[in-house]
Amino acid sequence: MKKIRMGCGSASWGDMLDPAVELMEKGELDYMGFDHLAELTMSILQRMKDKNPKRGYIPDLLPWMRALLPIAKEKGVRMLTNAGGANPEQAGNDVLALSKELGIDGMKIGVVSGDDVGSRLDDFRKQGLKFVNLDTGEEDIDRISDKIVAAHVYVGSESLVEGLEKGADLIITGRASDNAMYVAPMVHELGWKMDDWHKMGTAVTVGHIIECSAGCAGGMSNFWKEIKEPWRVAFPIAEVYEDGRTIITKAKGAGRMVNEWTVKEHLVYEVHDPENYFMPDAIGDFSKIRVKDIGKDMVEVTGIGGKKRPDMLKMTIGYEDGWIGESEISVCWPDAYEKAKFCEAFLRGRFKARNLTIDDVRFDFIGMNSIHGPLSKMTENLEDINEIRVRVAAKTRTREDANQVRREVTHLWTHGPVGTTAVISPPPPRKVIGLWPTLVPRELVPTKVEMMEG
Amino acid sequence: MTTYKLKDLAYARSGDKGDIVDIGVMAKDDEAYRILKKYLTADKVKGFFSPIVKGKVLRYDIDTLNSLEFVMHNALGGGATRTLCMDQTGKAYGPNMLRMEFEADE
Repeated sequence: MKKIRMGCGSASWGDMLDPAVELMEKGELDYMGFDHLAELTMSILQRMKDKNPKRGYIPDLLPWMRALLPIAKEKGVRMLTNAGGANPEQAGNDVLALSKELGIDGMKIGVVSGDDVGSRLDDFRKQGLKFVNLDTGEEDIDRISDKIVAAHVYVGSESLVEGLEKGADLIITGRASDNAMYVAPMVHELGWKMDDWHKMGTAVTVGHIIECSAGCAGGMSNFWKEIKEPWRVAFPIAEVYEDGRTIITKAKGAGRMVNEWTVKEHLVYEVHDPENYFMPDAIGDFSKIRVKDIGKDMVEVTGIGGKKRPDMLKMTIGYEDGWIGESEISVCWPDAYEKAKFCEAFLRGRFKARNLTIDDVRFDFIGMNSIHGPLSKMTENLEDINEIRVRVAAKTRTREDANQVRREVTHLWTHGPVGTTAVISPPPPRKVIGLWPTLVPRELVPTKVEMMEG
Repeated sequence: MTTYKLKDLAYARSGDKGDIVDIGVMAKDDEAYRILKKYLTADKVKGFFSPIVKGKVLRYDIDTLNSLEFVMHNALGGGATRTLCMDQTGKAYGPNMLRMEFEADE
């Protein structure tokens, strides 16, 4: 029976490289997929491209490919990545140039485009699309129309499959769904029909399990105490058979673990309704899914269901939405808690005195309540607290006001209570990108693959 | 009447999509799942998170994994890109929820 082994090489922009290299070397893989994009990332990349037309893809792509291409070539592993971001064509050109520099001949790259609809929004609206905000129900897109930075549609795997059929060693996409990186190889190698909804449900679910790199292999885990060598991270493998049988595992000798619990942790992660896991290629149903340890670091997954792919695709519009100014400073024993409250009063008063326009402000006492907020359990002996880091974050309309927020924190160094210190260097004002998620009919967003050959 | 601490019965992991935070609650064994399924209602979770979560809370059950999925709306101060929270992506909501205590009439 036909089977393929797919490894995950990245879950986000900034993920670790060495577990991907280890997996490429030791994983006995047929394919490796990479996700580098989060909801916000597309707007950041679009802004990079607006400033310089040769940028706009994930900068990590080049060092990643420098490390991985030679091994992939030697082992015969094909790769798929959405690191193309807002500029997949340029990413393709640059990786092709890199492959020549590395002495790799005849490299074939499939560049997938069509997801970038920033220039088509007016056209869509003329066709009667409403762009109802999926999060808030708001319909008044005009409110943000002059602040829009980017608009991209989460597209599925059709053009990726086509690229594999044309012999691509590497597929580079823009905002294709994370799990299209894994759906495409399954369709291509296992002969699964893209309208066989049971198989496609399996494909998107398997994609979900491994697409978050160490997410199913001991990362973000409740079982962190079982990890004996914290610094060793392993990325996962999905071994998928023609009939849909799936085993999640990792490379022999790699760190951490893959077991029923670590896979389960990822199955319940960020899925909303498990009976209806919406992806462009299918709706996965894991309401009856089962996981079973069948060996060391080997988990069999069964009981996956699937339903017809949605007619509408998700589109995310990114728009400029003001600024955030933030900074931190430390207060110390004795009376650390009283000093922290003094700092908060100082800052609130200073913001008012300086007439800063602040739409929202938040104070955190790091070490006491910054993560669990009002649900944090307060310590009984406040006078014993060694130190507190006071953090303020404020949403402003201008960069100047955001910058003033951090300057006022710095003033606490010399105008606050005795011992107030460690201001370090505060982060620069942060431009806020608001996200406006909405839906568009699939037929309005065709994708295509263009082949580049070295 | 018994008072249960969620931390004794389950593990939890959380994450975000927009302004929604999802918490997956995994029962430690079959008996724990029976109790959670019966008593850990979406209403109780909404009550627990009321200082933080402004929108509705929905529960989905995955019996084959002994797990419950809680989907909490308007939960992250506008979502990861614009929230003022330090936990921008809701990763710590799961562990926070393990503080929860609830009563069972058995």
